[in-house]
Order: sequence, then structure tokens, then C-alpha cells
Amino acid sequence: MVSGRFPILELRGLTKRFGELAAVDAVDLDILEGEFFTIVGPSGSGKTTVLRMLAGMESPSSGDILLKGERINDVPANRRPTCMVFQSLALFPHRTVGQNIEFALKIRGDAAASRRARAFELMDLLRLPRSYYKRGVTQISGGERQRVALARAFAYDPQILFFDEPLSAIDYKLRKTLEKELKDIHRETGKTFVYITHSLEEAMVMSDRIGVMRAGRLVQVGTPHEIYTEPRDKFVSEFMGEVNVIDVVADADGLLFAEAFGTRLTAPAHRRGFQKGHLVIRPESLRFLERPEQAENRFEGTLYNEYVLGSRIQYQVRVGEHVFAVERLRQHAFGGRLDDRVLIGWNAVDSILVEE
Amino acid sequence: MVAAAERSAQPAAATPARPRSSLGFRYSLPVLLLLAVGFIAPLVAVIAFSFVEPRSFDLWSEPTLANYRTIFEQTYYRSFLWSLAFAALTVVVLAVICYPVAYGLARVFGRWSNLVTLLFVLPLFISENVRLYGWVLFLIKGGVLLGGVKALTGIELTSILFTPPMIVFGMVYVYLPFMLFPMTLGLSMVPREVTEAAFDLGASRAQVFREVELPLAMPGIIIGALLTFVLGVGAIVEAKVLGGQSVIPITHDIEIAFTYAQNWPLGAALSVLLMLVVGVLVLIVLKRFDLDRILGRR
Amino acid sequence: MGMDAQQRRWVKPLIVAWTAAICLFLYMPVAAAALASLSQSRYFTFPVAKWSTVWWGKTFDSIQIRELIETSITIAMLVTAISVVLAFFGALAFARYRWRGRSLYQRLVLLPIFFPQSVLGLALLLWFSALGLTLSWQTAVFAHLVWIVPVATLVIAIQVYSFDPALEEAAADLGASRWQVLKEVTLPVLWPGIFSGALFSFLLSWGNFPLSLFTTGADSTVPEYLYAKMIAGYTPGVPVLGTVSTLGAAVLLLGGYGLITVIRRARGT
Repeated sequence: MVSGRFPILELRGLTKRFGELAAVDAVDLDILEGEFFTIVGPSGSGKTTVLRMLAGMESPSSGDILLKGERINDVPANRRPTCMVFQSLALFPHRTVGQNIEFALKIRGDAAASRRARAFELMDLLRLPRSYYKRGVTQISGGERQRVALARAFAYDPQILFFDEPLSAIDYKLRKTLEKELKDIHRETGKTFVYITHSLEEAMVMSDRIGVMRAGRLVQVGTPHEIYTEPRDKFVSEFMGEVNVIDVVADADGLLFAEAFGTRLTAPAHRRGFQKGHLVIRPESLRFLERPEQAENRFEGTLYNEYVLGSRIQYQVRVGEHVFAVERLRQHAFGGRLDDRVLIGWNAVDSILVEE
Repeated sequence: MVAAAERSAQPAAATPARPRSSLGFRYSLPVLLLLAVGFIAPLVAVIAFSFVEPRSFDLWSEPTLANYRTIFEQTYYRSFLWSLAFAALTVVVLAVICYPVAYGLARVFGRWSNLVTLLFVLPLFISENVRLYGWVLFLIKGGVLLGGVKALTGIELTSILFTPPMIVFGMVYVYLPFMLFPMTLGLSMVPREVTEAAFDLGASRAQVFREVELPLAMPGIIIGALLTFVLGVGAIVEAKVLGGQSVIPITHDIEIAFTYAQNWPLGAALSVLLMLVVGVLVLIVLKRFDLDRILGRR
Repeated sequence: MGMDAQQRRWVKPLIVAWTAAICLFLYMPVAAAALASLSQSRYFTFPVAKWSTVWWGKTFDSIQIRELIETSITIAMLVTAISVVLAFFGALAFARYRWRGRSLYQRLVLLPIFFPQSVLGLALLLWFSALGLTLSWQTAVFAHLVWIVPVATLVIAIQVYSFDPALEEAAADLGASRWQVLKEVTLPVLWPGIFSGALFSFLLSWGNFPLSLFTTGADSTVPEYLYAKMIAGYTPGVPVLGTVSTLGAAVLLLGGYGLITVIRRARGT
């Protein structure tokens, strides 16, 4: 999927301080030509600041940004061959759809006829009806505005497109459609996309690679599969969605001891020298057992509640003071009743061990 | 009662409101009453008086156009033109000098904005003739400027006081906040991301200004321009204190008609013409703006 | 932050310098008046030969000037009290409720603000005499109200725009009567706007000249007195009184907003 393998954008020790606070703290990252790279993190993690520095709207406190090997720290946004799609879309409210799309061309001094031709090309690419050309941007729907913003960015013919959570304010159903569309457009145009979002789910759908940020630092970089199966720490694993986490310490025999439960657990293969950390079990990896020997690790608890999550059902099982989430597909719904005593368990291979 | 409040609070639900019972209408009544008695009625009285026999004080007489004839036969048009020209010039000068400050207040000063705003608000509350008189003391022969220059260098300069440009100077000085604040409001209505987007799409600072910032801030700028223009047309003290009566603005003519000349009908007719110019302008401009959008922006 | 990379480095200092220059321009004559008030000689010359506070003393000893200040303050206080009440309800009608005729009402409220004040003053003079009223400080109060109530309405309306009507609905839902809703929710939430409206009313009335000029009759306010003295015969009492009125306005404004800040901090909002 990734067309080129050389880095188009290199971040070297990129840092931004606002007063005492380091909003972005020594980030090193290579973004490859033609890839769809997504930076994920909760709000305040510094992801927006990274993007704004890359786009040239914020200058780094220290560190470098290299575009195709050339340092661009001091190149202002209007001279960078990059373009941003804003969270608010930032369409020009006093201009029509056509004028918005043609903005960069007008700035460049293109003739009206060629601007119009290019605008129509882009409207076709983004499946915007040509009849919208003369409409005001306030007279079209949210999804259409999204496409106008994208067309406007493409008209600039940037080498890299930045996306600052442009889908976050859109309702679920439309968002899911636009995510896929964006991925299709990425494929069709072959441009480098750098996207930021707080939703790992969104990142998973679209990205070739994902970088997870937390408190100004890049915690983990990898393909969606790598992030999902080998989260580097508890933060990344929890960021992936709802998970069960058990605090554990290594004991002498290479097994794990879960202090809170007073039991030993069979561990997946783990790094040598592991001392202390967390065992992460996804809700879909937990199972209801009929007999104890059906799983390597198990707990007995009480079925406390159940939630229907569309195609899946989640069960809340209380073990002492702890609450475990168990998920099943709807067609395999668990037959137990609330307050029943139940046995839940998992195999070691289905769990992930992360160090503290 | 509460149910009525709830219903009228919802913009969508309240469209076919019942005016008699709506709280909004009832709450507006005191203000409406005040404006009816204190604004509309006096204006009607002025209009009525403008059709009364010259030098008469009796409102109930045969209507006549004599006052208007007098105005068009004599040279009052000069005063009108001076007033309109001074006001227009004031607007232009103010627009230019206020823009950087308004931009600073909206974009640059951050948490200092409130303090800077306060500094610009304060002079509004000092009577304009006090402040204008301060300029006289500053600029007069032997005053702060000329006296200071003489003491330092020995050079004696002539004062620029009591010349027509000083009238514009005084108006610019007095009405500065009335341009500054609407302009700041207008500029703060320009979303930051929109100017950033323009910049990101290759526009230079000048292009961002021309293509995005100026058109989007226009409502505020126009309101500021209108306000200063109207105040400028109505200005009376500047010409007397700083202009030294080198030029007679229309307000001065009106005042003379009402006071020394004791010719109220003539003064009323002049006022009517001035009100026509101002009123038409104000109504045209105000009609075009969505006040809720401009004022409700926070 | 934000725009820093977008602006050339010299733009920000330039804007700061320009703003400082304009500020200086605004306060220059005020400072000149303060200087003149502290000069001992009967006629002001600069550099000041001899400093003294003799004219301050003389001004404050004058019974006429005390009366002027009293008249000005009485007018301003009455105007403030009346205009805050009218403007509070006026602002609710302006910004809070949607009702038929609202848009017309909004424009009507703006008209007196967008109107030459000297002409308004003369129109009121005409109107009062047509009604057979004798001009005095009471008619001036009314004249001030015609202009100040709309201004105060706008000032309070700006606060009302940011007021969430759901708060009132929640209070009513919890059993509060119409009056209790007003007292417990609407008033406290809109308080800063009302305070600003009151401050504006007082100060605008205190400094007003064009309306007072035509409507006070035999009575006189501080700005009127200063104007008369400027036109006919300078005395150092003019800059003294001018400086006093400036200082008064400054203390009120800064003190008022200082108070708001302190109370807001104490409330933790």
C-alpha cells in the first residue's frame, strides 16, 4: 500500500514549549512518501501542536522539520508545499463553493477559465455536483462542506495533506462513510496524508501507520495491526478501547502473581527481566466457562449487568471488588441470569503483558 | 407564565408568537415608551416646527415652506458640505489608525486585551470638551508643545490651533473609541482558522487581508464607520474649541438659529434636513445586518 | 500563540508600539490639563514657572462649583437608577426572547445611539417647550435617559446573549416561581452585565455635554460650566475641574472593574 519507502517528512527532536509546559517533547518520526499516517492521542497530548508545526502555523521551540531532506523550520505556511484540512474546515463563509475551491489558484494568479476547469475536475473527483459551483458554502450539508474543504486543499496541489480531526464534529453514520471515502481518495491521488484524531477506531480504518501520542511524547509507532496486538504499555492498550487490566508481578517460577486476587496466572511469552506490570485482556478474549479446565486462567464471579452494543453484547462480571467486561457476538448471547455465579477465563496467548 | 417564557425561549417553537402575551414584548414596553415619548415625539415636533412661520414659537399655525425656502436660497449648503466632508474625512482617518489597534485587541494582546480595552474606554467618560480643551493647552502658543520646543531649542513655532484641519483632528480624537470597538468586534468575528487556511493555501499577508480578513470584518467596520460618521456630522464642540470658528459646521448653524437668532422654525428645518441625511444612511446600513450575529458573538 | 509563525517577527512589536502611541495620543490632553491645573499663574504658560495647588484650593472652596458637582452627580445617579431598570428588561426583550416585532424593536433601540446628540438635544428642547415644561436638571435627566437607556440596553444585551435560557427553565422545573427564577437565577447570572450597564450609565451621564447644553435650563452641569469658561474667559479652575472629573471617572471605572474581578475570583467563576 505504501508506494514509496523514503521519508518525505522527518521530525528530529521536535519540541514546542508554551512557557514552562512542553506541549510537544522531543518527537522523532519519519513519515514516508505516499503513506496515510495518523497521529492518535487524547486531547492535550500535543498532536494538534505537532500538526500545526508541520503545516507552518506554529514554530518549533527546538528540533527540526525536514521536508525531502531540507530543513523547513523557518519556511512560513504559505511557502510550504503542504496543506491543511481544519477541524472547523475553515471554509471562507463569504465565498461560493467554486471560489473556495479556486482560492489557491486565484492566489497563484491562474486565469479564470483554467481555475474553473480545475475546480470542476476536483468536484468530479470528490463527487460534488457541478451545479454546486455557485452555491454559498453555508447552503450545503456537512458532508458536502467536508468535500469542498478537501477539494480546496487539493487545488493547492500539495505534496502532503494534513488533517486536523476534520470528521470529529460529524455524526456517526456519515463519519463512517467519509472515513472510507478519504481512504479511497488517498489511494486515487497517491499523496501523503498526515491525519490526527483522538479516535483510535478512526485511525485503524484509514491508516497505513499510526503514531500514538501522550503528554507531548510519541509513545508507539506501528501499523494498525502492531498497535492492536502489541501495545507497548498500559496507556496504549487502554486507548485501544475498553480492556480488562490486572496488575501483576513476576514470581520466581516465571509465572505471574496477581496480588489483588491472590492468585497466580499463566503468562504469555514475555520479555526477559520482566518485573512488574499489567496483564491486558480484551473483552472479546474473555469467555464464560462451563468447566474450569476450559481455560488456562480463570476467575469466579457474579453476573452483574449486561449491555447490548449493536452486534455485540457486553457482560459485566464482578469478582470481589473488580469488574470484568466480557463480550460476545449477539448470536452467541450468554444464557445466564443477573446475579448468577459464573466462571470466566482466558488462555495465556489471548492476553498481552505490558511493563509498567 | 413560566410556560410562556419557556415557549418563547425556543427560537423554532416561537415563530408564530402571540405578541400580546409574549414576555419579550412586555419587557420591551418601558423602553418603547421612553423612546416614543423621548425620541419619536421630539422628532415629530421638530418636523412640525420646521413648517411653522419663521421666528414663530407657536406650533399651531398655518404650515409653510418658508424655512426650507430660506435654507435653499442662502448659503447653508456650505455648512452642510463642510459637516459631511469633515465627518467623512474623520471616518477615513479613523479607519486607518484604528485598524492596527483593533487587530491587536482581537488577535495579539491576549490576556492584556481587557486592560488595553479599559484604557481606551476611559476617555469616553471624560467630557469631550475637557479633553479638547486639553489639546488647546497642549498646542496653544506658549502651551506644552510650543513652550516646550521654545525652552529646549529656542525656536518659536506658530500654533496650528484654530485652523480647519484641527477640527478633523479633534473629531478623530474624540470619536476614536467609537470606531475602535465595533472594528474590534468585527475583527474578532473572523475565525482564526479561516485566516490560517488562506495563509496555508499560499496567500501572502496582504492577500489574506484583502481576500479574507477585510470582507469578514466588514460588518464591524461599517458599523464603526456609520457611528463615527453620524457623531461627526453632529459634532459641535470641536469646531468651536479647536477650530476657533474658522469653519461653521451645520450643527453650529442650527444652534445659532435656536439660540442667538431665536428662529426655531429655521433651526428645526435645518435639523430635519440633517436628520434625513443621517436617518437614511443609518436605516440603509442597519437593515443589512443581522444584529444577533454581531452582538451575540462571544 | 497561533499566528506567531504567520506574522513576520516585526509585526507584533509594531502593533504594540502603534497601540501605545494611540494611547499616548488619547491621554496627552488629559495630562496637559493636569499640568495646567498645577500652575500658579493666572494664565498657563509652559514650561511651568511655579507649581502650586492654589487653584485646586480655590476651586473646591467655590460654592458655585460645589453646586455644579452636586447637580452633575444627582443627574448621573438618577439616570443610572432608572436606566438600569429599564435597560435590564429592555435587554431581555432585545436578546433573550424571540417575539414578533423584535427585529424592529432592536433597530429602534439603536437609532438614538446612531443619532447626532446635539440635534437630539435641540429636538428635546423643542419638545419640552411645546409641552410647556420648564427646563431644569429634571428635564436633563429625561434627555440623558433617551440616549443612555439604549446604550445600557446594548451593554446588558451582550451579556444576555451568552445567557443559557435552559438555566431559567431548569429553575422553573425545580419549582421556582416566575419571581424566584428572576431573583435566584436570571439576576445573579446577568449581574456583571448589569453592573457594566450601571457604570456606563453613570459615567456617560457625568460626562455628557450636548444633551445637557440644551436641556438643563437655568441649572448647569460640570461639562456645561467648563464649556462656558472655555469660550469666554480662561481660569485655571477649568483644568482643575477637568482633571477632577477625569480622576473621578478613572477611579469609578477602574474601581468598578477591579470590584468585578475580585468578586468573580471569590465566586470562583
